[in-house]
Amino acid sequence: MPASSDRSTTVDAPVRWPGGARCAVALAFDLDGPTGNALIDGSIWRNPSFFTLGAYDVWRALPRLLDLLREQGLPATFFVPGWVVETWPERCRAIVADGHEVAYHGYEHEAFWQLSADDQRRVMARSRQIFENHLGVVPVGFRTPSGDWAPETAQILAEAGVVYSSSMRGDDRPYLIDIPGRERPLVEIPGRWELDDYASLAYQRNPNFPAGLDRIASYAATFDNWRREFDGTHRDGLCLTTLFHPKVSAKPGRLLLLERLFEHMRAADGVWFARCREVADWWLAEGHP
Amino acid sequence: MSIETPRWPGGARMAVVVTIDFNDIHDIVAREPSTEGREKTLSVWRYGARRGVDRVLDVLDKHQVRASWFVPGRVAEEHRGLVGQIHAAGHELASNGYRCEIFDKLDLAQQQEAFRRGHGAVAEAVGEAPVGFRSASGNWAPGFADTLRAAGIRWSSSWRGDDLPYFHEPLAAPRLVELPLHYELEDEPYFAFNLYPPVPPGQSRIASYRDVLDNWRQDFAGFRRYGLCYLLRLHPEMIGTTGRIALLDELLGELRGQSDNWFTTGREVADWWAGTQPPNAPGHPVEIFARHIAELPS
Repeated sequence: MPASSDRSTTVDAPVRWPGGARCAVALAFDLDGPTGNALIDGSIWRNPSFFTLGAYDVWRALPRLLDLLREQGLPATFFVPGWVVETWPERCRAIVADGHEVAYHGYEHEAFWQLSADDQRRVMARSRQIFENHLGVVPVGFRTPSGDWAPETAQILAEAGVVYSSSMRGDDRPYLIDIPGRERPLVEIPGRWELDDYASLAYQRNPNFPAGLDRIASYAATFDNWRREFDGTHRDGLCLTTLFHPKVSAKPGRLLLLERLFEHMRAADGVWFARCREVADWWLAEGHP
Repeated sequence: MSIETPRWPGGARMAVVVTIDFNDIHDIVAREPSTEGREKTLSVWRYGARRGVDRVLDVLDKHQVRASWFVPGRVAEEHRGLVGQIHAAGHELASNGYRCEIFDKLDLAQQQEAFRRGHGAVAEAVGEAPVGFRSASGNWAPGFADTLRAAGIRWSSSWRGDDLPYFHEPLAAPRLVELPLHYELEDEPYFAFNLYPPVPPGQSRIASYRDVLDNWRQDFAGFRRYGLCYLLRLHPEMIGTTGRIALLDELLGELRGQSDNWFTTGREVADWWAGTQPPNAPGHPVEIFARHIAELPS
């Protein structure tokens, strides 16, 4: 759903960030574990290699990533499918204990644009129950698994108490999504493929990802791309969020990339590091379009 | 959450295992049946036996590294001389089906048959039964771990899910140790190429050699930081070309220069792990997998 056209701003219009900060960085991680199509259709249980590749996410990558975020004093948002919270409650409680935000990401990473409205509601209700039961948290954020959603999804999210989404790609600032019959719009904090680690570093055969089994990118070139994206965000006073996956970019060799990227960001002047929900609250309070 | 720090023998900081899949044409034929009978295409993979194995052996010898070589039974029969040389050079020979069968397409009985035939052929070629196994596609049916154990297999390197060894379920003795894989530590995702039929399917460019070496170095630095088990999975037809063998030479030279890296074989890591380490912690990927498999309707 695009931002309504009367709300568009020009690239030149500066965005105000808290405390006079120059730009906003909302680090966000999708903790998918082994969820996704193969879990939904059950084929993952005939594919232990694929299951274990996904499970590495929560089992090994997450604890090391939390250590890194703690060392660097950085807040983050973790979008977590309910199945992952149910399966590894202790691992997920560590996210909350470290002061990070946890938010919705489906139950089994369902593609919302393929679900009926009733099924979307069921996924949201089940997820809320799981987050409450296992983590004692009622999330206010949502990132659509696969990114795409159905015409009624925004309405369903609002009903479920969701304040913001981080699902779309089409801007480098947050924007508002009006919901018919509701006074409060949904805040969208869009991500970018350039800052999705899948686009550079993910690899899996059977099922193939990328579909053509393109090469794993050079780590040095990947870091350089990410650094340049941040530099542009900083130069233009925008809001950067990441679509990083611990099983992809928090592996031993790649944590070093994240470490360097975070150090680079922290060395810049006037960066507001925030959880996504703080960005959403700021955007609403400021009356931004 | 603290990071487990495993203690490797002799105060080593980490373990380094080089594994080589010497599959000749059988892996590509199993994966891409349309390659059967196409001699130009197959010669891409035959290069391993003709040239690559010798180069890899030379570099391993130069750096005094003993590797674990996975050989399907058919390769042991067709390349008996080469397999004998590998064994005579002090490397471990391990087992990998008979024709690199894609276990995903076989039921348990067929998997057992492929394993037994392959295992027997390698044992006959080298005069001793392998204790290591790799499933070419990484998968097997529930119950197959019992088959491996019953045949004297002590370690596998097929699954993923960790950067330390772990135990397969069930945990009955003798324990079957897994030395998990990581795609970024394999040569195939960077270097495999054929024009027609297209390999990889999207026929993407061959990766920059320099960049691949840099990635492997950085992966190594990360594994070393956390004291893990760095396991390479290489193919003689890919890493053993005249241009790429230098990558392995350079990498091993650097890694050998650090005296606290434990360079060893899969068998030795597995025996050490089985002899010294407690069972998998609750919630380990292998335990979650076993629990769900047990709950599935048969």
